[in-house]
Amino acid sequence: MTLALPTRRIEEWKYSDLARVLGDAGFGEDSARALVGPLPHGVEAFSLDEANRPDWVNAHYGKLSTNAVSAVSLAKAQGGIALRVHKNTHVEAPLALDFLGQGHVRALLVLQEGASLTLLERCGGGETRNAGFEIVLGRNARLDHVRVAPNSSAVQVEEISMTLANDAQYRAHFANFGARLSRLELTIALKGEGASVDLSGVSVLSDQSHADITTHVTHEVGQTQSLQLFKNVVGGGAQAVYQGKVTVKPNADGSDSRQTAKALLLGPRAEADLKPELEILADDVKCAHGAAVGDLDADSLFYLKARGIPEKEARHLLLHAFLEDAMACITGPDLRESVRGAVSRALDEVTV
Amino acid sequence: MLEIKNLHVAVDGKDILRGLSLRVDAGEVHAIMGPNGSGKSTLSYVLAGRAGYEITEGSIRYRGKDLAALAPEERAAEGIFLAMQYPVEIPGVTTMMFLKSAINAQRRARGETELDAVAILKAVRKKAATLNVSEEMLKRALNVGFSGGEKKRLEILQMALFEPRLAILDETDSGLDIDALRLVAEGVNSMRAPGRAMLLITHYQRLLDYIVPDRVHVLAKGRIVAEGGKELALELEAKGYEQIIRDAA
Repeated sequence: MTLALPTRRIEEWKYSDLARVLGDAGFGEDSARALVGPLPHGVEAFSLDEANRPDWVNAHYGKLSTNAVSAVSLAKAQGGIALRVHKNTHVEAPLALDFLGQGHVRALLVLQEGASLTLLERCGGGETRNAGFEIVLGRNARLDHVRVAPNSSAVQVEEISMTLANDAQYRAHFANFGARLSRLELTIALKGEGASVDLSGVSVLSDQSHADITTHVTHEVGQTQSLQLFKNVVGGGAQAVYQGKVTVKPNADGSDSRQTAKALLLGPRAEADLKPELEILADDVKCAHGAAVGDLDADSLFYLKARGIPEKEARHLLLHAFLEDAMACITGPDLRESVRGAVSRALDEVTV
Repeated sequence: MLEIKNLHVAVDGKDILRGLSLRVDAGEVHAIMGPNGSGKSTLSYVLAGRAGYEITEGSIRYRGKDLAALAPEERAAEGIFLAMQYPVEIPGVTTMMFLKSAINAQRRARGETELDAVAILKAVRKKAATLNVSEEMLKRALNVGFSGGEKKRLEILQMALFEPRLAILDETDSGLDIDALRLVAEGVNSMRAPGRAMLLITHYQRLLDYIVPDRVHVLAKGRIVAEGGKELALELEAKGYEQIIRDAA
């Protein structure tokens, strides 16, 4: 098996030139760390650098990852964490998961039947890192996931790959503030009827920063739903990328899929590459996708200024408003407020 | 309060106002009437400072200052308010949040202390009730899904909150049924004050049954062609614009 990093010649990596920014050193040989907050009742953890992995780890570890970068982290990562939420356990308070340090790291999260969890994933911004994260949602399990990636001058890559059984729900929000190269790739298989994913995200990028969200959602069976809403504000010479591919397998009738990606470009050097894509192999499905790139609405800007709101504040208000419907998808009010706050601070940087 | 002399304004290189002169003093309510395309909305936008409306000749003085030198937000802080014909819809900003931002931005610009959320909510509630602006409207995104009447009522609510020195109402009567018109007119009449001037810009005489102006000016092809007291509006209604404009020529 080859462990070469993808180049831009591979279509999926066209907008994120990983081989170039990493150079000959690649991600190196180091192992990064995954830390988890105090474990609530009904949640168990296993440190992946230890020997004698339990059966539940062996049953799932390394089974779902698909992309080339994830193959590298599987081969090289020495550490990481595996988490399991026991059957019918409802964890109220958000559980924090932090990726820290330089190098490769792995995580595995298993929600057994009927379990529910809110996961707050935080990415330490300083170091170049390659994370591979596998998630298994059992029947009727529910995972709320909020991932916040602070502004960074490093290269940060993560692949999240997951499967959902019958009636499982995954609701995720990804807030990106840009890195030298930031790539989040989601590979999601809707394997059981009634399974649903609701993905949303905001990127606020300035200077030369980059953020790439690439999703592959496969409706393997019918009566499954996927929603995606990604909003980007791009200033300076920054670049936002959204590539979203939804595949509806033959006989996955009654699937419902919607994907929307929008970007506002704040200057002539800002770039957004939005590519929603649909492959429908079934007959009776409801699918919609769209992408739009634009600038702030001049009528709205004038209206606010005519009410006494200065230009900078008016632009800030309108940019925040543009991102609001994506942030409104975050279920927990505290997490939602904290993302809004981070977005507001980032918008101060892009509105001059 | 407002003195416009020989104003020429071009939009996209096309002359729209061609030598308009007008003087409005504190305590007065003036009506500008004119047919479509006479330059009514251009006048309101140039007073509010919209980009793209170029003054090619003449001057606008507001309280002794050259208005052209001020940005739209500075004009608002100086007490100019334009109730717009088509208030914009802004999804993602609640009406209440917008009102708070606007009130505090104006206060900051004037060197006053900002008001906290509770004080603003109290002030808004008090004035919203008389204009039949519901609590639910204040929670909704600004103007999104509002009916024509709701949008106009919200414009008047803003006027009541900002307490401007010079209020310009651009076609505030358009799209209103008779009950909404009466409500809006009551709101405007209650704001008449010795220190405040108002400019009503309208196509129809109907609004002037409810808000009686001190002076009426007829605008045609970018300049004032006839002036008079409130009876001029009735004459216009009876004879039509063409006749009045012809008589004036």
